[in-house]
Amino acid sequence: MTDSVFTGRLFGPGIAGAGVAAGATWELTGGIRITPLDPGIGILNAEQPSVTSGGFNAGGLRIAWQNGDASWVFIVDAGEEQARCKATAPSQISEQFNGITREQNRLERRFKTGGALLSFVILLPLVLIALFLVNRDRIASWVIQRIPVAHEVRLGDMVLAQSRLQMKILDSGPDVDAIRNIGKRLTTGSAHTYRWFVAERSDLNAFAAPGGVVVVFRGLLNSVASSEELAGVLAHEVAHAELRHSLQGMVKNLGLRAAVSMAFGDFSDSVFTDGATRLTELRFSRDAEREADAEGLRLLVAARISPEGMLRFYERLASEKRGSPPALLSTHPASGERLDWLRNEVTKFSGPWQPLQVDPGKGTN
Amino acid sequence: MAMDVIDYEIFGAEMQFVEVELDPGEAAIGEAGAMMYMQDNIQMDTVFGDGSQQTGGFMGKLLGAGKRLLTGESLFTTVFHNEGSSKRRVAFAAPYPGKIVPIQLTDIGGTLICQKDSFLCAAKGVSLGIAFQKKIGTGLFGGEGFIMQKLDGDGMAFIHAGGTLHEKVLAPGETIRVDTGCVVAFQPSVDFDIKYVGKIKSAIFGGEGLFFATLSGPGKVWLQSLPLSRLANRIIMSAPAAGGRSADQSSLLGAGVLGGILGSSDD
Repeated sequence: MTDSVFTGRLFGPGIAGAGVAAGATWELTGGIRITPLDPGIGILNAEQPSVTSGGFNAGGLRIAWQNGDASWVFIVDAGEEQARCKATAPSQISEQFNGITREQNRLERRFKTGGALLSFVILLPLVLIALFLVNRDRIASWVIQRIPVAHEVRLGDMVLAQSRLQMKILDSGPDVDAIRNIGKRLTTGSAHTYRWFVAERSDLNAFAAPGGVVVVFRGLLNSVASSEELAGVLAHEVAHAELRHSLQGMVKNLGLRAAVSMAFGDFSDSVFTDGATRLTELRFSRDAEREADAEGLRLLVAARISPEGMLRFYERLASEKRGSPPALLSTHPASGERLDWLRNEVTKFSGPWQPLQVDPGKGTN
Repeated sequence: MAMDVIDYEIFGAEMQFVEVELDPGEAAIGEAGAMMYMQDNIQMDTVFGDGSQQTGGFMGKLLGAGKRLLTGESLFTTVFHNEGSSKRRVAFAAPYPGKIVPIQLTDIGGTLICQKDSFLCAAKGVSLGIAFQKKIGTGLFGGEGFIMQKLDGDGMAFIHAGGTLHEKVLAPGETIRVDTGCVVAFQPSVDFDIKYVGKIKSAIFGGEGLFFATLSGPGKVWLQSLPLSRLANRIIMSAPAAGGRSADQSSLLGAGVLGGILGSSDD
C-alpha cells in the first residue's frame, strides 16, 4: 500500500508551529490515516476530514478535521503528492476535489486575465505608435486634404514673395497672357484660382507653388518649340498643384504637426513662413513626379490639347542635354522608363485635338 | 543537491550583521553588496543566477537571472567559498536598520515565501526563486506586490527586514490581521489574503488604509514592525533639504499636535 501514501505537513495541538513532516493514506470509509515521520507523535486517524484549498495562492490541499476542541490540519505537499492524494481519494472525498479544482482554475484565470490586461495597457501606446508610423503617409494625405484652399493661397503668396527676392517675376505681359490662355483651358473647373507668372531666369525650369501659383522661367519659354509643348509642361505643374504635392513635401519636411495646425486652425504666421521657406527648396519625389505626369496627361486630354507636345518636349530634354540635365529634370531625371511610359500612354489617346492659337516665346524677346 | 551546513552568529542590536562560519570546502551565497568582511582563504566567485543549479545550460541560467531581476536583486550572486584547510568566517551586513532572522528551511518544510529584497544570505544550494502572487486583490492591496521571493532548499537562509522582526505561529484556522507592508515571510501553508477594514470611517480616518493583510494558519509567519518605506517617508518628512519640517518635535506643543493630526498618513 506504499503507492497510496502521500506526504505533507501536519499541524495541530502539541506540534511545533512550523508543523512536522508526515505521510498519509486515505481509508475506504472516507477517513484518513496520518503517520508522522517523528515516532514520538503517534499515528492519527480522522473519521470525517474536510478538504479545502488553502495556503499561498490557494495552491495547497488542506485536509482538516476536529478532534474534540483540537483542530488538526494536514497540508499535502505540492506537485506529485497532491496528484496522488487526489487519485487515491475515496468517492466520498473526491467530490470535494471538484470544488477545489474549480476554485484554483478561477484564481489562475483571473491572474492570467489581469496579467494580459496589464501587458495590454503597457503595450497599447507602443502599438499605437507603431500603427501611426506604419500609416504615416495615409494620415498625412488625410490631413492634407483638410487644409483649406485659403491657407494654401496664403502659402503660395509667401513662396511667391520669397521668389521675388531671388529673381525678377513678371505678373503681366504677352508671355504671361499666352501662358494664361493655355492654363485656363487646363484648369477649367479647378477649386484653385490659378495665377501665372514668368520669371526672368535663363534656367530651363518651372514650378508650381500651393494655391495655384505657376511660375515659368524664361529659359523654358525660349526652348519650347510649340504651344503644345508648353501646354505639356504647364499640365505637369498644374497637376502638382492640384494633387497638393508641395503640401505633402512640406509635411515630410516640417512634420505632421505643421500640417495639422494648418488644417485645423491653430496656426501661427511662423508656421506659414516656415512652410514657405521649405517649399522654395523642395524637391518632389519620383512617385510625385509620376503622379503629376499621369494627372497632367489627363488634364491635357480633358482640355483637348494634343499630348504629343508633352512627349516631344520630354524627349528633347532627354536627348539634348545629356551631360547636365536641365533643372526641370535634374531632381527627377527623365529616365528611359518614364519616357517609355509616356510614349505608351500618349498612343492611347487620339484626337481630334483643338490647336492652340497662341505662340509662346515670341513675345518680348 | 548537497546543502552545506553553516554555523553562524548574529551581532548588533538594531543594525545587525551575521557572521557565517564555513568549514573547508563549504560555501555560502550572499546578496551582491551585502558582504561586510571575510577572512583569508575565502574565495569570492560571482555567478550568473543564484548558484543553485549545477547544470541546466545557458538558458536555464539566464531564466534564473531574469527572475532575480524581477525580485529587485542584481543579476549576479556572489558565492563565498572556503578554499582553506580550516574554518573561516565571512560576514554579511543588513542594509538598513532592522533584524536578521535565521531560518532553517528543513524545519519549515523546505520552502519559504518572503518579501522581495528581504533575502540576505544562505547556504550554497538554496535556490532563490520567484513566487507570483496570483490573487489580484492581494497583489494590489496586500502591500507586498505581485512578486514575492521563494527560497527552496534544505539549508540555512538569513532574511532581513526593517524594525523588529517577529515570528508568530498560527494554529490551524487562526487568523491575524496585519498592516499592509508588514508581512515579511511565511510558510507556504499560510493563506495570505486581504480584508477590507470594515467601516468607511475607519478606512478614511483610521490611518491604516483601506485593507488589512490577513494571514491564516497553520504555519509560521514573520512580521516586521517598520517597513523601510515607512522609515524613509518619516525621514524625508522631517528633512529640511527635502522640504520637510526641521522643527524639533518638542519645540512647540501646538505645532507638534497639529502636525500629528493634520499630517498625512505615513503609507
